[in-house]
Amino acid sequence: MSNNNNYISKQKFMEELYRYKKGSVTRRHFMNVTGLGAASAVMGAAMPGLLPRPAFAAGDIGDRVILATWPNYHDPANFDAFSEATGARVQVNVFGSNEEMLAKLQAGGSGWDVYVPTNYTITTYVDLDLIEPLDTSRLPNYNAPSYDPRYAEAGSVGGKLYAVPKNWGSTGFVVNTKHTDGGQPLTTWKEFWDITMNQFSGRTTVHDYQLTTIGNALKYFGYSFNSIDEKELADAEQLLLDVKPHLFAISSDIQPSMRSGDSWLAMAWSGDGKQLNTDMPEIAYVLGAEGGELWSDYYAIPKGAPHMDAAYALINFMLDPAVNTKEVLAHGYPTADATTTAMLPVALQNDPILYPAQDLLDALEFGAAATLTDPNRAELMARFKSA
Amino acid sequence: MNSAGYIQPEANVRQTAIAELKGVSKHFGDVIAAQDLNLAIGEGEFLSLLGPSGCGKTTALRMLAGFEAPTSGEVLLDGEDVSALEPYHRPVNMVFQHYALFPHMTVAQNIAYGLKQRRPRLPKAVIAEKVSHALEVVRLDGYDRRRVWELSGGQQQRVALARAIVNEPKLLLLDEPMAALDRKLRKEMQLELKTLQRKLGITFVLVTHDQEEALSMSDRICIMRDGRIVQVGSPQDLYDHPSSRYVAGFVGTSNFFDGTVTARSGNLVSVRLENGMSVETSRADGIDQGQEVCISLRPEQIRLKRSGEGVPVSVTNRIFLGEHTEYIVNHQTLGEFLVLSPRQSELNEGQFDTGDLLVASWEATAALALDRT
Amino acid sequence: MKQRTRNWLLLAPAGTWFLVMLIVPLTVVLIFSFGERGASGGYVPALTLEQYANLPARWTAFKNTMVLAPAGTMAALLIAYPLAYFLAVRASPRWKTILLVLVIVPFWTSILIRSYAWIFLLGGRGIPALLGWAGLEDIRLINTPFAVLIGIIYGYLPLMVFPIFVSLDRLDKRLLEASSDLGARPWHTFVHVTLPLSIPGIATGCMLVFILLMGEFLIPAMLGGGKVFFVGNALVDLFLQSRNWAYGSAVAVTLVVVMLVTVTAYMRLIKRLGAQREDVAIM
Repeated sequence: MSNNNNYISKQKFMEELYRYKKGSVTRRHFMNVTGLGAASAVMGAAMPGLLPRPAFAAGDIGDRVILATWPNYHDPANFDAFSEATGARVQVNVFGSNEEMLAKLQAGGSGWDVYVPTNYTITTYVDLDLIEPLDTSRLPNYNAPSYDPRYAEAGSVGGKLYAVPKNWGSTGFVVNTKHTDGGQPLTTWKEFWDITMNQFSGRTTVHDYQLTTIGNALKYFGYSFNSIDEKELADAEQLLLDVKPHLFAISSDIQPSMRSGDSWLAMAWSGDGKQLNTDMPEIAYVLGAEGGELWSDYYAIPKGAPHMDAAYALINFMLDPAVNTKEVLAHGYPTADATTTAMLPVALQNDPILYPAQDLLDALEFGAAATLTDPNRAELMARFKSA
Repeated sequence: MNSAGYIQPEANVRQTAIAELKGVSKHFGDVIAAQDLNLAIGEGEFLSLLGPSGCGKTTALRMLAGFEAPTSGEVLLDGEDVSALEPYHRPVNMVFQHYALFPHMTVAQNIAYGLKQRRPRLPKAVIAEKVSHALEVVRLDGYDRRRVWELSGGQQQRVALARAIVNEPKLLLLDEPMAALDRKLRKEMQLELKTLQRKLGITFVLVTHDQEEALSMSDRICIMRDGRIVQVGSPQDLYDHPSSRYVAGFVGTSNFFDGTVTARSGNLVSVRLENGMSVETSRADGIDQGQEVCISLRPEQIRLKRSGEGVPVSVTNRIFLGEHTEYIVNHQTLGEFLVLSPRQSELNEGQFDTGDLLVASWEATAALALDRT
Repeated sequence: MKQRTRNWLLLAPAGTWFLVMLIVPLTVVLIFSFGERGASGGYVPALTLEQYANLPARWTAFKNTMVLAPAGTMAALLIAYPLAYFLAVRASPRWKTILLVLVIVPFWTSILIRSYAWIFLLGGRGIPALLGWAGLEDIRLINTPFAVLIGIIYGYLPLMVFPIFVSLDRLDKRLLEASSDLGARPWHTFVHVTLPLSIPGIATGCMLVFILLMGEFLIPAMLGGGKVFFVGNALVDLFLQSRNWAYGSAVAVTLVVVMLVTVTAYMRLIKRLGAQREDVAIM
């Protein structure tokens, strides 16, 4: 598919455009940069605008349910099926970052019924009393033993269940091997940062997201991805400041510039990696040997959700393995539910990008709650961006 | 000068012509704004272009200024064809209808504007000197630092005048300069403008639709209609020898009666009016037997008496105007017409009242047989 | 008395709007700016100047804004003026309408979508590819301050064109004739009559563009690749990412103050440049 670099086919263009129209390209896409959560919410909400009429008169769970989630993270057909079955229309609000979600809930009056927090944020929501404990009796489809505890345990705090797993993934980087020595992909975060300051100057994209950008800079020195140690952060900051003049962009929306060939190297969530690699095999997805981030997203209900019944109904519906399979096929992120995984095509189950080898997986760390709320990391990121 | 009032442009130039329109036409698409204009403007004269709106007088003026290029014909200035010359290259200045003063400049800056365009540059002191002199001329001494929007209409008009005359143009064009002034101020300014013109000796071309203004100020008046020149002559010529009903109606007021020429004898023409009455009138050129004409009778030429020879009329209205009195009288078949009676004659013969039965009479030479157009 | 009641009723909607949309938020922001950040973000009431003391940490953002906002305003002015002049003075009435519509049409599309078009145009397969064709290899445009400037000019051009267009369109054309009649060549007429009389439009346009640019965050984020950091971007990050409301409020208050000072100084300058008192459209 090397000719893909030289021109963009009509069909491809329409696909790209459609992605833009949907408001995003990847999970935590550019809205993160722009802070246009509200604007994207409007776009997202416009999507299921022409839903089929409910097959029966609603009433039991209300006529709508409001979901705050990440871009391109669902199969719209499942929402259609849900409203057909229950009479409740799914209204989608799309967000760019966990921070943004937290900011909305902290400000109050979000009006959401269901949201999709990432593992490391849940304790904070519990501390701030912004999350509703889940009543498993209302989630008959939630078969706890079927879920890999690695991706499910963050849902419980102090023995109480607050959130059920949605999907999980890793954060590594994508590299266009057309530009590497001998067409070999890089293997470590050290190489990532070093080549950026040399051969790849002006071609590297890092996330506009303190967790991953600072975390992966920490990895250069072999520190923990989650470090909030002053000295270690100072080292990471120095690295980031040294790298800044050599960057192509500080942006979480990495796909367009990787596809166009403007950027050759970029931090990436596994879904980005998978999508890019599928379309352009010369783009490889790499988990840095030093480690990096492993993450798991959950379904949860915020305190004071206006349509509580509908919220439970929606989560329960999405956890149905048949529905969940369609979800995974639509967005490509693995699920922690073994029952669902077993229903996926074998090729997908063996995909090295989505299901990395055990040794690579073991080197990864979950983001920590302290990382999310640490003001020093936020300030470091601001200094880096404004340098 | 021939009595008919048709005046050949060349024949009428008193001194040398400073400006001349030669066969000039101006078309805007299908609209003919001016057609075959021939007019010579003598050095130092005060000429008015008079006519209703849309008659082409403004177009003629704008062609002299250089804002419009003629579609055909030549515009001459001092004997030179300037038809293709830009306005800023013509030694001509204009006083605009609403003055077009520069609102962001002081009075002095406005007046100095033209002087500052001179190349080679004039020394600052000379400009200042000329500006202050121009202010004196228009009696605005001490207003130099004022903003133009602080001035009254009359004052603005003087500034516009000063801004133009300070350049000592060969031709000063005035586009309805008094239109925005109230009546009393207009009268004053007319007088002042005339005096100024004499004093400066600059040739003035004034565009106006106000016949009184044209009559009181001009050496000559050029009457226009539908893009053409109808008649050119001194105010007295036009008043006494109009070439057509149109001119007679435009210059002064007149009573008109339609009729047909029945006979000619010497200087007199007999006309039978539509009511069958026969009237002797003075001859006009180009009037032939059997021709349908219009008789013009100036109101001040008609005398009213209680008895004697004349046509019987009754007074329907009397308006006392001081130095004279206006009577509207009615004749059974001729209808109503206007008579102007001097105060002196009223003092001699006594005044008439509404309803009085009188006779109206006039000298045969006072009535003019005119082309009906 | 009745008249007065009516006046109050007429003013009520605007007054309420003013109070709710401007005074109340500004007051809240002012109060927040003296507070502290909560442990997990948000706002904790306090009375401290700590946030203001920390302002130098956003010095670069202020510096970038104070350089690129005036530069963008000037660049927009230089491009908008000839366009507005052409529209108002030169174009025939029919073309005037068509061209005016063309100037407005981009405004019907979200700046987000339009910026995407620019990402493509300035990206490797856009203009740089054309330049490469012409022999100018390896020109990078996207994600540079230059790209941000292009985006700013593009996005704000209509806001600059319109006030200037209006002031030029309203300009009494007889003044231009008068100038020409008095012997001024076209260029002199432009410099001494047209330009000074369009100062109100220029002032309004510059003010609109400058004020909006001071708060701009979208264009630098999208066309600057996140590397060109405005105060607007700092605010977005502070409120939506690090959730440091107190500090964010202090930055916002400072931005408002900087804006007020700049705008006041600018107004003074414009007045001194001899704009007519009654014609300065924005006060």
